[in-house]
Amino acid sequence: MATTTVPAEIVSAGRKRSPAPTRVRDQLRFLPWVFLAPALVIYSVVVVYPMLYSAYLSLFRWDGVAPKKVFVGFQNYVTLLTHNEVFWIALKNNAIWLVAALLVPTSIGLGLALVLNSRFRGSHIFRSIFYFPAVLSLAVVGLIWTWIYHPDLGLANQLLDALGLKFLKRNWLSDPNIAIYPVILAATWNAVGLPMLLFLAGLQTIPQELHEAAKVEGAGPLQRFWHVTFPLLRETTLIVLAITSINALKAYDIIYAMTNGGPANRTQLLSTWMYFLTYNYNEVGLGTAIAIVLFSLTLIFAIPYIRLMTRKI
Amino acid sequence: MSQISTGAISARLKGTGPHNSSTQARYGARMPSAKVAIFYAALIAAALIWVTPVITLILTALKDAGDFAVNGAFSLPKSIRWANFSEAWQTGVGNYFWNSVIVTGVKVPIGILIESMAAFALTHMHFRWANKVFVYVLIGLIVPIQMTLVPLTLLMNALNLIDTLTGLIILYIGFGVPFGVLVMRGYFRTLPTAIIEAARIDGCSWFRIFYRIALPLALPAVVSLCILDGVATWNEFILAQIFLRSDELRTLPLGLVQFSTQFSTQYDQLAAAVLISVAPVMLVFLLFQRYFVAGMGGAVK
Repeated sequence: MATTTVPAEIVSAGRKRSPAPTRVRDQLRFLPWVFLAPALVIYSVVVVYPMLYSAYLSLFRWDGVAPKKVFVGFQNYVTLLTHNEVFWIALKNNAIWLVAALLVPTSIGLGLALVLNSRFRGSHIFRSIFYFPAVLSLAVVGLIWTWIYHPDLGLANQLLDALGLKFLKRNWLSDPNIAIYPVILAATWNAVGLPMLLFLAGLQTIPQELHEAAKVEGAGPLQRFWHVTFPLLRETTLIVLAITSINALKAYDIIYAMTNGGPANRTQLLSTWMYFLTYNYNEVGLGTAIAIVLFSLTLIFAIPYIRLMTRKI
Repeated sequence: MSQISTGAISARLKGTGPHNSSTQARYGARMPSAKVAIFYAALIAAALIWVTPVITLILTALKDAGDFAVNGAFSLPKSIRWANFSEAWQTGVGNYFWNSVIVTGVKVPIGILIESMAAFALTHMHFRWANKVFVYVLIGLIVPIQMTLVPLTLLMNALNLIDTLTGLIILYIGFGVPFGVLVMRGYFRTLPTAIIEAARIDGCSWFRIFYRIALPLALPAVVSLCILDGVATWNEFILAQIFLRSDELRTLPLGLVQFSTQFSTQYDQLAAAVLISVAPVMLVFLLFQRYFVAGMGGAVK
């Protein structure tokens, strides 16, 4: 039975397969599929097939009810780009959101991880505190922050009052020019936990000896960060950036809970505008076209992530 | 990733003992006491700012509507009003709560079972398509849910599953597969092949190996996934919003947003309702927080 001790990696790599005894091989041919079947079937039906069907539907003009779909080719995409003002607002909001998500929660997460990586009295309590908002649903985060932005009773304006900065007071969520930013701030509060956790995990893999060695060589804390910590966190950073950007593009509930896309559609995102077009205006073709655009954007950020995840197979 | 002991209570700020050179503070070690004080002051200030929204929520939930209207959210309640919770519970939140319990309670075990089986096949069964199937499953991690909504609506309509908890649970199981397989696969990969092979030689069937050996050995990963998946299911919004129509079937996040539009001025009750929905998550988090780290670590390994 020498063949059965071949490491799974080599066999599953599909190249250097060593000959297994016939009985085992026959059984192995179909048995893995039995183990995979429940997960693969439900995943294919619920996620993959609808995804492909959406791509197909985006080529039709359809209200979602009528028996006949009219094939229009790429007309839905053209309409979005040329005749749909809100699409551009949503795209711009998504871009702002994405840039903010890539810069702010990631930097705060890294900073907190660097500080909290050391063990001092209470460090685990601080980790819990800073991670905590990440376990709340975005709908709940949205509701909580809606109070903070309440024009009369909310903490934001009360604080500005107390600080003597009355001129900065706003009706935060009803001012069409700025409404998206308070929403992003609320989302940031929720988005810091995950990068912090991932960076903490990454920091744990850096051998303490490297720091000691650098210290002996006379490197200061900043130099140690730039020349030791940061290069070794490269992979973690890549994962963090990928996950934060994918999550940023998925944002939906928090808009729904805070502004519902308003005022005057100024806080629409592609995800929410897709919902409005499909379920409120019965423009299924346009809605699915937006979903495809959203997926394509996600793909740009996800490809490095997927490559990283599969490289280690 | 289990070496990240978020639960460690050991205080090693001074870090002078020779035995803790490997775990001692990298930042903040051997600091003079004035610096220590500043360090703590800064950290505590930051933490206070960070929890302000939660404190606001708790304060609002404990005061009556009149107090809130006069003094706003961020002030101590004049008198504590527990009735907010029972009133919110009776106005529908209790119902939403139990719906969430049912959905999470059914979805998570079924999901983890089928995800573990799949992950086991991908790691230990000498399966030649393993890499391709894994990539196929990973795609699901990045699909925006919006990509699936319209076809799912048609599908669920055809199967008469719209506005049922059963339908919603099926969708949750499907969408949970990618993350679950990712985490379980990450853990199964660390199990020594020798154990599995030894059982094979002893004539153990693959189902028994999975059920009796692999799954029990993967218990830490199962617990992590249970918690992460449980919280994610408890918090899910968009699928519930689209596929549940009647009020009595709503889950908590959906019910709360609905509650907030219906009783938009009753902040006290709404805050109590939000707190009711957050409480179980808070409890799970406080009890099992190290599993959050372990689970996430498994996902990126």
